[in-house]
Amino acid sequence: MDAGSRPFDGLRVVELSIAIAAPSCGRMLAYFGADVMKLESQQHPDVARLFGSAWARTPELAAVFTDTSPYLPEMNANKRSVGLNLKSPAALAAAKALIANADVFLTNYSTPAVTDLGLDADTLRALNPRLIYAALPAFGSDPDRPYYEFISWGPNQAPLVGLDEVTGFPDQEPAGVAAFAPPDYFAGLHAFFGLMTALEHRDRTGEGCWLDLSQFEITVSALGPYALDQQLSGEVVTRSGNRVGWYAPQGVYRCTGEDRWVAVTVQDDGAWRALAGVLDGSGALAADASLATMAGRHAAHDRLDELLGAWTATRSPEQAAAELQEAGVAAHAVHSPETQLTDLQLTEYGWYQARPSFRFPDGDLLGSCAMHLAGTPGRWDRGAPSMGEHTADALTEVAGLDADAIADLVDAGAAFLPTAPDLKLHRPYEHVLRFLGLQEDAR
Amino acid sequence: MSTTPSHSASHGAATQPWSGLRVVDEGGLCTAYATRLWAALGAEVVVLEPPGGHPYRQLPPFAPGTTAPEGSLWWASFGQNKRSVVAEANSELAVELRRRADVVLVEPGPDERRAVLERTPDNVLVAVTPFGLRGPRANWQGSDLVAWAASGLSYVTGFPDRPPVALAKLNFAAHVTAMVAVGGAMVALRARKATGGGQLVDVSMQQANAMLSPEAGVPLVLDDGVHRSRSGNRRTVSRPFGLYPCADGFVSIIIVQPAHWNNLAAWMAEATGMDAVLEPAFVDLATRWEASEFIDATTEMLTMPLTKHELFVEGQRRNIPITPVNTVADLAVDPHLEAAGFWREGDHPVVGPHRHPGAPFTGAEGWWHWSRAPLLDEHRHDVASRWDIPDTALA
Repeated sequence: MDAGSRPFDGLRVVELSIAIAAPSCGRMLAYFGADVMKLESQQHPDVARLFGSAWARTPELAAVFTDTSPYLPEMNANKRSVGLNLKSPAALAAAKALIANADVFLTNYSTPAVTDLGLDADTLRALNPRLIYAALPAFGSDPDRPYYEFISWGPNQAPLVGLDEVTGFPDQEPAGVAAFAPPDYFAGLHAFFGLMTALEHRDRTGEGCWLDLSQFEITVSALGPYALDQQLSGEVVTRSGNRVGWYAPQGVYRCTGEDRWVAVTVQDDGAWRALAGVLDGSGALAADASLATMAGRHAAHDRLDELLGAWTATRSPEQAAAELQEAGVAAHAVHSPETQLTDLQLTEYGWYQARPSFRFPDGDLLGSCAMHLAGTPGRWDRGAPSMGEHTADALTEVAGLDADAIADLVDAGAAFLPTAPDLKLHRPYEHVLRFLGLQEDAR
Repeated sequence: MSTTPSHSASHGAATQPWSGLRVVDEGGLCTAYATRLWAALGAEVVVLEPPGGHPYRQLPPFAPGTTAPEGSLWWASFGQNKRSVVAEANSELAVELRRRADVVLVEPGPDERRAVLERTPDNVLVAVTPFGLRGPRANWQGSDLVAWAASGLSYVTGFPDRPPVALAKLNFAAHVTAMVAVGGAMVALRARKATGGGQLVDVSMQQANAMLSPEAGVPLVLDDGVHRSRSGNRRTVSRPFGLYPCADGFVSIIIVQPAHWNNLAAWMAEATGMDAVLEPAFVDLATRWEASEFIDATTEMLTMPLTKHELFVEGQRRNIPITPVNTVADLAVDPHLEAAGFWREGDHPVVGPHRHPGAPFTGAEGWWHWSRAPLLDEHRHDVASRWDIPDTALA
């Protein structure tokens, strides 16, 4: 491979997606060089576009509001946006011309919705037998299954698949995972894993395939040990704060500062002796035989929480974590969004990056990808696309349409180009990007 | 739906997409979830275990009346489909196995990370660490709880008057990391098809889980300047938006779309007589947020007399996004998982017969093949003979 080339150069992906599950998968493909073309509709925009920026809710910016959501580069950086109003037969034909020349079709629309559009698996696989059709509906694609027509929004899935029951303290109702949706991202990772497998399958057989990824089954897969425990012992796992049966003490402890905390895990008996030395210089705690084993420390967990909590209460999370790690105990500050931005390790790896986009030419912020390949790294070339930014390019290069045909589609309202192309925006936190050296990076 | 993919029964190895691929898994908690799936899809995954056994062999819960190293249900689950060979990390056997592998996964300790970073491997070497192989905290130690703290996930999870919480009991951060680690290995294998060469893949728990943090919000918080913290089990965007108590537990109700609100409001009015919820202004998310107390109280009047199953089935029939807060006991008898053939019959000489999760997704016919978790060192001679390991290495 040439310098700068990437593992998925030449791989074409057509994405019909909303929110997180499918977009998070397509974004990883785009990071490693795939040409990911996101089909977008003005009638039914991706909900991520509807969470526009608060500052952009003005009449002057109404035309570009759907380009402003800070979620967009988090989900769609490096992708191209192809504006096609798919309810129009001419637009559908153009979409199919893209898909006929693509390797992957990736969607998390419901099965009835893609079927209504005429983009169901049977139709597209007949059109392109080498196509890998990857669908991530909430409950799978089989109409004979009981929940086929059921609906669930992102935060509906975590409770359903058993995550909320085990989140929180035993003396309270479930805290749940309310602020973000782990099953969405977990499904995106499984879709990526499935696509890599399907590419391998295609290399060997010459055939595409249909990946049917139900978020429900995917996340329940992670509960295996407790599913077995329930069958074999009748135990039903429930919430226990931050305690687990194999480390003690473990918890999140209050530090100095407003709502500031440190997470601590004593991984083994050696780490306990180290912690005991930090908490009690006299050596008495380390010498207490009743605490030398995990079982003993579990029995004394409340008392150990008090001791540890009293120690952390006089330190900042950063101080506490540094002292504990120095001694060999796993610990880290509980990052708020504000402290996460300047995390030393994330900074070392260039986690937060500003990349130019059509609407934010001076750079828009995004979080990176955790797969660091030393020999053939991925990279972020640009932020999220503006709606319809690449309609003309993609229809020319991939679908083989000429300029007149594209102009006809646009005139008929079947395809669209970006609104207000000369209207360029700046994030209200440019000074922060400049301070972090991210803005320079983007230029 | 003639081509509906199906969960396949056992098939010959030759039909599996990753058959012929050799993987040596020296990782611990942070690789096992994904190498189980890789092995089910045909990769030959050899778990190179230290003499004490893989860390998952030590974790409770255990099958009744059993102990480590064979009775852990973590191992029975995430050791599935793999082979076991026990060897010291610096032994000749370990070296010979690594040399023959297409992919090696490791979780180097604090003192080993620098050496891994400086290696130029012939194969694909995936190094999984708490915070990465380089940087000022490269030698720090981690855990599932620590990963959620360091990636911004726990700060927004829990009640505002209690400490942040995590999914540590599920080792969920480890499973996310495992999917990133094996995903990275798969990308490196595709690159190898073009270059012929191996490479190092550097994966950290912190960054793998930071990929789940967009909603927790660094770019979001910078953009609107609004600090975000824990809001308990309901989000501060509208109502109903979160968990509500019912006769036998809790349900999740998430109303965003106007149609969903109208359906719910009609049901609430019908069941409670509170016709005030039919007020047209409540179609607006923000209006319902302002009237949180009233909306929540009326929602609970609807939910409290009914079971979570009744609310789920009747709510979905009325086209309302309602789901139950399920326990593992609920999932064990869930009709959808049953119809999907998700649970598979398994057996294990120590754990005994049981049902385990099967394919998390479906692909082509014959992809998935399931076998029980190996006993400690069960495949020493089998792997040595098929991988042409010299006898001297087995001494």
